[in-house]
Amino acid sequence: MDFAWSDQQKELLAAVDRFVKEQLNYDMIENDRNAVFNHDAWKKCAGFGIQGLPVSEEYGGLGQDPLTTVAALERLGYGCKDNGLLFSINAHMWTAIIPLIFNGNEAQKKKFLPGLVDGSLIGGNAMSEPNSGSDAFALATTAVKKGAKYILNGSKIFVTNGPIADVLLVFAATDKSKGAQGISAFLVEKEFPGLDLSHKIEKMGIRTSPMGEVFFEDCEVPEENLLGKEGAGSWMFTRSMTWERGSILAAHVGTMQRLLETCIRYANERKQGGQSIGKFQQVATKIVEMKMRVERSRHALYHYGWAMNHRKAVYMEAALAKLEISDSWVKCCEDAIQIHGGYGYMVEYEIERELRDSLGSKLYSGTSEIQRNIVASLLGL
Amino acid sequence: MKILVTFKSVPDPYAGAGAAAKSVINPFDEIAIEEALRMRERGEATEVVGVTIGPAQVDEQIRSALAMGIDRALRIDDSRALDPYALARILYSLVTKEAPQVVLMGKQAVDDDSNQVGQMLAGLLGWPQATFVSKIEFLDDKKRARCGRETDSGIEVIAVKLPAVITADLRLNEPRYVSLPGLMKARKKPIETLTCEQLGVKVEPLTTILSISSPPRRPSGVRVTSVEELIAKLKEEAKVL
Repeated sequence: MDFAWSDQQKELLAAVDRFVKEQLNYDMIENDRNAVFNHDAWKKCAGFGIQGLPVSEEYGGLGQDPLTTVAALERLGYGCKDNGLLFSINAHMWTAIIPLIFNGNEAQKKKFLPGLVDGSLIGGNAMSEPNSGSDAFALATTAVKKGAKYILNGSKIFVTNGPIADVLLVFAATDKSKGAQGISAFLVEKEFPGLDLSHKIEKMGIRTSPMGEVFFEDCEVPEENLLGKEGAGSWMFTRSMTWERGSILAAHVGTMQRLLETCIRYANERKQGGQSIGKFQQVATKIVEMKMRVERSRHALYHYGWAMNHRKAVYMEAALAKLEISDSWVKCCEDAIQIHGGYGYMVEYEIERELRDSLGSKLYSGTSEIQRNIVASLLGL
Repeated sequence: MKILVTFKSVPDPYAGAGAAAKSVINPFDEIAIEEALRMRERGEATEVVGVTIGPAQVDEQIRSALAMGIDRALRIDDSRALDPYALARILYSLVTKEAPQVVLMGKQAVDDDSNQVGQMLAGLLGWPQATFVSKIEFLDDKKRARCGRETDSGIEVIAVKLPAVITADLRLNEPRYVSLPGLMKARKKPIETLTCEQLGVKVEPLTTILSISSPPRRPSGVRVTSVEELIAKLKEEAKVL
């Protein structure tokens, strides 16, 4: 394994470092309190090239490999404190763009990819249902072919970007008798009749990323918006899930690095009993543990990226990266609050928000329990 | 309309003390590049050509300029420590070859603050000059440019006939950051290298830098416990009262 960056990668990563010094973090406390999506920062990120990192140049993207992509996202997370914005970007990239790249026909790619890359379109996916979460393929939403259209009925929950989406990748059962093999994927555009995106859901953390419930009532989807073949939905979902699982927390390796630096600064500045609190072993130990977690997480992330660059089956690496980074992120936030004492618990210090933002990472894109199931089954258990 | 924009590679002025001095495009030159790009985006300019003088190491800054969006770049290969007059003479020979309508430059480089090359270049060319400019508008079907100049007593507005040399001040614009698509495109754009010999110009610096020393470090302050003590110190130690 070689993680030494080439000159071109160095140049690209340095450009991200410069970009994140731009204004992406304004009004963070207010936006979090009021659950406001920062559309302007979304556009800035797209204009800079973030959303298009893994998309080929033909469709306006940058054609970067998985390792370079996650490394760029890591740096974005270091500079950008808006975890909700990062979450929206990730949902857009891994659950809309990636399935389109792998399964879209030329017309679909031409129609959607350039807009998804330049930020004029916001994408997402609608998989989970009120009664189908970790049991992902037990879908109640149906799609029935009528002439040149599919008619969708049902509802979806926890749809990231739902309330602001222009196009959603919706999974629905075209043939219930076939179970997982009877699931198909549709590109549902916000204007389609019978689609209702208006139901927002309020969350504990990543509040600046809009999430909603989505309802389909005889929603008409033209047949050219079927992604891939009928019945290929579950396979497609599993494939893009590997990308999603491994990459979705890349930015938060950067977040942890920033938290670590914040804590070191504070531990040196804050004096109690005539000395910096960093001189107290209990504080120092917490910071050392943070450092260990950052390094382990970074290694797990790069290992996943490297594996993606070199082979196809990366289920193990993706699940391990997701587990390692989510556990570490939550623990780093807890420690950061503890090191900052009462101040860390106050909104103004912007650390309590990090903890609220981090907790969802053990739930979305497969809970930590599901990741452990995957690892266990790959270990032959 | 063709615009020639010059830029110099300087140590990063925003790098923290003690940090390894990374090179960047001189901030005033970055403003000049930005202005040239905006002129092209408004349809006023058709081509933006960047030029810099230096050894191969400055190619990194050339790529940054290409990534910002200049169409092509020229590097005059010369690693000597040249003075403003020598630089102006090299640029003079290049301007006669490229024949731009406007030469846009930063008002000065932040490393040596000499603030002379633009003025000397205009003098050598016999062109009008607008220096310390914070606003540019083209007049009379781009036969003239109306320029706002930042002076100590306020903004002086002048009109210059084109071709002209215009030097950029801080408030002319806020340069864009390099985007990743810009970076990718820059990798495909040409960097042409020329020597003074090829340009047919022979220059020797007339000025030699003898030494450069950093200003002395400011000693750390002391905490006073009362207003009386502060006043006493201001009177007796600082002697400002």
